[in-house]
Amino acid sequence: MKALTCVAVLALGGTVLAQPAPPQKPFPPGVSPVLYELSVPPERRPTAAQITLGEKLFNDKRLSADDSVSCATCHDPKRAFTDGLPRSEGIKKQRGQRNSPTVLNALFNATQFWDGRAGTLEEQALLPIINPIEMGMPDVEAVVAKVKGLPEYPPEFQKVFGREPTAEDLATAIAAFERTQFSGNARFDRFLAGDSKALSAAEKRGWALFNGKARCNSCHAGNAVSPLFSDQKFHNIGIAAHQHDFPKLAAEALRVVRTGDAKQIDELAIQTNLSEMGRFLVTKNENDIGSFKTPTLRNVGVTGPYMHDGSLATLWDVMDHYNKGGIPNPFLDGGMQRLGLTEPEIDDVVAFLFALTSEDLAALEKKELASQRARKNKRPERDTAVALGKKGNLGDIGVSPDLSISNPADRGFYGPVGPSSEK
Amino acid sequence: MNARKTPGIAALGALGLLSLGAASAKDASTPGTSPAPATHQVPRSAEGNVVIALCDGETTLEVKGVKDPAQIDKKQAQAISDQLMAEWYRKNPQANWDPVPPRVALAQPPTPPPAAKADVKKQGESAASDAAGVAKQKGDQEQAGHTYGAFSARDEALWKASAEQMVKEGHRVFHDSKELGSTVAISCDMCHPDGANTHPETYPKYQVQLGRVALLRDMVNWCIENPVRGKALAEDDPRMKAMEAYIFAQRKGVKLEYGKH
Repeated sequence: MKALTCVAVLALGGTVLAQPAPPQKPFPPGVSPVLYELSVPPERRPTAAQITLGEKLFNDKRLSADDSVSCATCHDPKRAFTDGLPRSEGIKKQRGQRNSPTVLNALFNATQFWDGRAGTLEEQALLPIINPIEMGMPDVEAVVAKVKGLPEYPPEFQKVFGREPTAEDLATAIAAFERTQFSGNARFDRFLAGDSKALSAAEKRGWALFNGKARCNSCHAGNAVSPLFSDQKFHNIGIAAHQHDFPKLAAEALRVVRTGDAKQIDELAIQTNLSEMGRFLVTKNENDIGSFKTPTLRNVGVTGPYMHDGSLATLWDVMDHYNKGGIPNPFLDGGMQRLGLTEPEIDDVVAFLFALTSEDLAALEKKELASQRARKNKRPERDTAVALGKKGNLGDIGVSPDLSISNPADRGFYGPVGPSSEK
Repeated sequence: MNARKTPGIAALGALGLLSLGAASAKDASTPGTSPAPATHQVPRSAEGNVVIALCDGETTLEVKGVKDPAQIDKKQAQAISDQLMAEWYRKNPQANWDPVPPRVALAQPPTPPPAAKADVKKQGESAASDAAGVAKQKGDQEQAGHTYGAFSARDEALWKASAEQMVKEGHRVFHDSKELGSTVAISCDMCHPDGANTHPETYPKYQVQLGRVALLRDMVNWCIENPVRGKALAEDDPRMKAMEAYIFAQRKGVKLEYGKH
């Protein structure tokens, strides 16, 4: 009787908690049904027919101008939907300005692209096709005309959508396929579900550092409702200041934004150094100069190289970058500060990050870990003196958690993911 | 094993006095010092049966025919708890034990007005850069009025769901004697159905059973050690955090009055 009333109470608990069964299969641990509800409105639930067509389109090089590049070229399912290159290569070996982000869990993103210029996967799907550097089609009409001209597609579109191929349906199909690419089931998820042996000692120390001294969770916070480890916000962490005179570039960008037209700005964003302005060219808000989206950390070990321009080859380089507080520039995010992580601590955080790799990518993980480890002693970002506070005055340095007292990894509230038995 | 600290029921004047009475009888020789928590001497059963004690420090019940407390199941534990509570009501007809609270939605964290209606922040942009125009056109208005910057309606939905999930987890622990580590199958809800009579809004306050000022979590641990007969949880144990969330959520809207009895 009491149990029944409790169920009734829970049912009243708000619409967000109402969870109809997920469409195809039960979600693996580490994928949140609540986030799915929030991210995939009912009218965008993929159907089986859309997914099949979408997958075909995703892999079809004929969607590009010279039949050489498909979506899968830069988002290769075998490489966790990335290309492993610092910056992606389009038709005619042209090099873009940005690193291709993984499609895995992209359905949960609040916005698409590094600068968030697309609100939905549908909107996103068409843009690389008509990007002159990427798939190089002149415009959306040309894409539709080409698809109509391919013998197998018109009947399939007819079957799935009941009409001739349109740009809208093309985008719907590709997005439907992408919405099936959710990924969880990492060692970390098994640890949370009560298997205390799923993580090694180093990985557990890394999780404690992640939430503490390393301050990763300032932007990469995760919980059982939102297990992506991303705030889906935009931050300037100074990556562009490596390779550019950032203040000069920012002044130029301000001038363009104040005088140029929208089309010109879009082209600059894609093709020139002004791409480094990131979110600013979308919002035109000066707070956003040089800021890029916080990417998910799910599968981060196998989706390198890192940052919007792929300039950091390994997670050790990423940790070095944050350890010294990023690269100073006038628009640096206020949350950036020196961390003072020691070498063993950096190793622990990296170990934890690899523990966020999905089980089905274990082989790739092994390969990537070996290759990143091999480069561990070649660390262009490393500035030990600054990171440890022996040089400069960049603020306070965090304190290492005393794991002999208690490991916060055992105690932190991530959320209910299974029986919270004693760990 | 049977020598236990005096149980007492959370926060109630009537019960508090009862326990205090028991305590001062023992501590009469040392006036001026705070009374040490008294011990509830649970009597031994002549036949070796399990004896369950109520937290008033005097009411006990022998469970006939049960030698091993691990054999008590939830249903039986609830019956035991009901009997003990009934006995206590009989002895204390004037007692001020709150009824079960209305079964409202669990957590409804207050949210600022929807993003669409809120002011758009103007700072960090110049008139010429037309950020306001872009925001309007893109429909990506971000809400002012949050403590830490601008957040979207999506963020708020995620926060709300996260808070509700924590409350839900607390509900589960509160109702689960195994999760609480009970050795006698007693769980929190057996005396506090749906979190009744927990008064989280009155902490911190002087807690008579503990003989000191306590936080809600101290009292929760006291209950876990005494009536529930388990081991105290660490203060940052996820189960403790979740139960606090649940207990507070059940009292949403009640005026905060720390120190009140």
